[in-house]
Amino acid sequence: MAELKTDRYYVETHEWIMIDGDTATVGITDYAQEELGDIVYVEAEPEGEELVKGDIFGSIESVKVASDLYLPVDGEILEFNQELTDQPELINSDAYAAWIIKIKISNQNQIKELMDAEAYQASIE
Amino acid sequence: MKRTVLYENHLALKAKMVDFAGWEMPVQYSGIKSETLAVRKSLGMFDVSHMGEIRVKGQGAGEFLDYVLSRRISNKNPQLTNYAFLCYEDGGVVDDLMVYQLGPENYWLVVNAANTDKDFAYLEKCLTTYKAQNDIQLINETDLFGLIAVQGKDSLEPVLNALAEVYPDQNIEQDLRELKRFRQVNYLFNDQLVVVSRTGYTGEDGYEVYLPIEKTKELWQSLIEQEVPPCGLGARDALRLEAGLPLYGHEISAEINPLEAGLGRFVEFDRDFIGKSMQGKQDRRSLALISEDRSIPRADYPVYYQNKKVGHVTSGSFSPTLNKGIAFALVSNDLPEDLSELEIEIRRKTHTYKVTKTPFI
Repeated sequence: MAELKTDRYYVETHEWIMIDGDTATVGITDYAQEELGDIVYVEAEPEGEELVKGDIFGSIESVKVASDLYLPVDGEILEFNQELTDQPELINSDAYAAWIIKIKISNQNQIKELMDAEAYQASIE
Repeated sequence: MKRTVLYENHLALKAKMVDFAGWEMPVQYSGIKSETLAVRKSLGMFDVSHMGEIRVKGQGAGEFLDYVLSRRISNKNPQLTNYAFLCYEDGGVVDDLMVYQLGPENYWLVVNAANTDKDFAYLEKCLTTYKAQNDIQLINETDLFGLIAVQGKDSLEPVLNALAEVYPDQNIEQDLRELKRFRQVNYLFNDQLVVVSRTGYTGEDGYEVYLPIEKTKELWQSLIEQEVPPCGLGARDALRLEAGLPLYGHEISAEINPLEAGLGRFVEFDRDFIGKSMQGKQDRRSLALISEDRSIPRADYPVYYQNKKVGHVTSGSFSPTLNKGIAFALVSNDLPEDLSELEIEIRRKTHTYKVTKTPFI
């Protein structure tokens, strides 16, 4: 059974976003890491890149598959979690602690379009 | 979807199940990395009961197989398990398979699950045009047998223990202790065929045990009780790629002949057989590539040489043993012979890959 956190929002492409004022961290859900299996590589677009909601901001690879990562809201990439370069498996051990990117949110209005834990749970059942 | 006789066992072990060629199969239990490493370091086991067994028997069966397969079978040591191709007239591959001799004029073709029906229909067609008069029979026995592969250097003892538990009245220990690589022993226990071969698809030593479907659960359970780690199709694919072994539909297919795939040593041209016309048809060749950075190549990614597209990846993966990306690529045959590097395009960026030798490990 995949774990969920109520302190953040979700999108149907299985990313979570935790908002802190006008910045946020983005990662993938516990459900997504379980589906992917052993994660062996994560990469993101460079810092300073300005993207819109739904854009591919990076990719994540398990032994078997490569998968794109989608941005939940418009924003500018502030930072990539460098720990994941050498230890991508951190996402398997705790998908909610192992954030992938930090962003500066450029459209606060989109937050209300995100799913809460309950809605996301319903979407994966 | 079809299920093997071990389906419930896989669920009990919390395997992640996937659709593989119409079969609901375990792709992983604990994880692809740990399963792959278990086999490399010691041992692991696989339910591969979905693979097809096609019996070819009757007067002239050996000669018929000589004609439809890429190698002569009838003159081989009957204890050897032989790898061969079933080809179309133009040399394209219908399937790659293992040939087991079960007795005089009595053979098994062990084929890819996805191809069993296609192979059977093709063999039937070949048989009708082969000789007007013949007594050769083709029987699809896939549903009668389970197949468990135990792979890794520590495989022998658990296999012996498990077989002794399932067949307590039979003495097979000495046979198996003396069995050499790529050889098989066949038994009739209570009139039921049991085949053990020292073969596999991982590049490690190991055994494959074919036994009646009603005995398969018992063998699996005994192996589980001996703590042999169950491994899924994910680890199986990683292991075979690391070992440099081809997969049908990737390195070989109806469009890629064995010579292009670098598997000419399994084709005997000094005689007539279906597919002989592949001789000389080699516009492309298969190369083994290994990453220089952290990138991971995947099937169908384009391959470049001096900024020109020269081919594509046929199989690619992260290698849990090497911690690197590894791949087979099919490239144009006019590239230089002593090529040392190529580029693979991964998500719109090119990455340098070193040309290497197989096995990768």
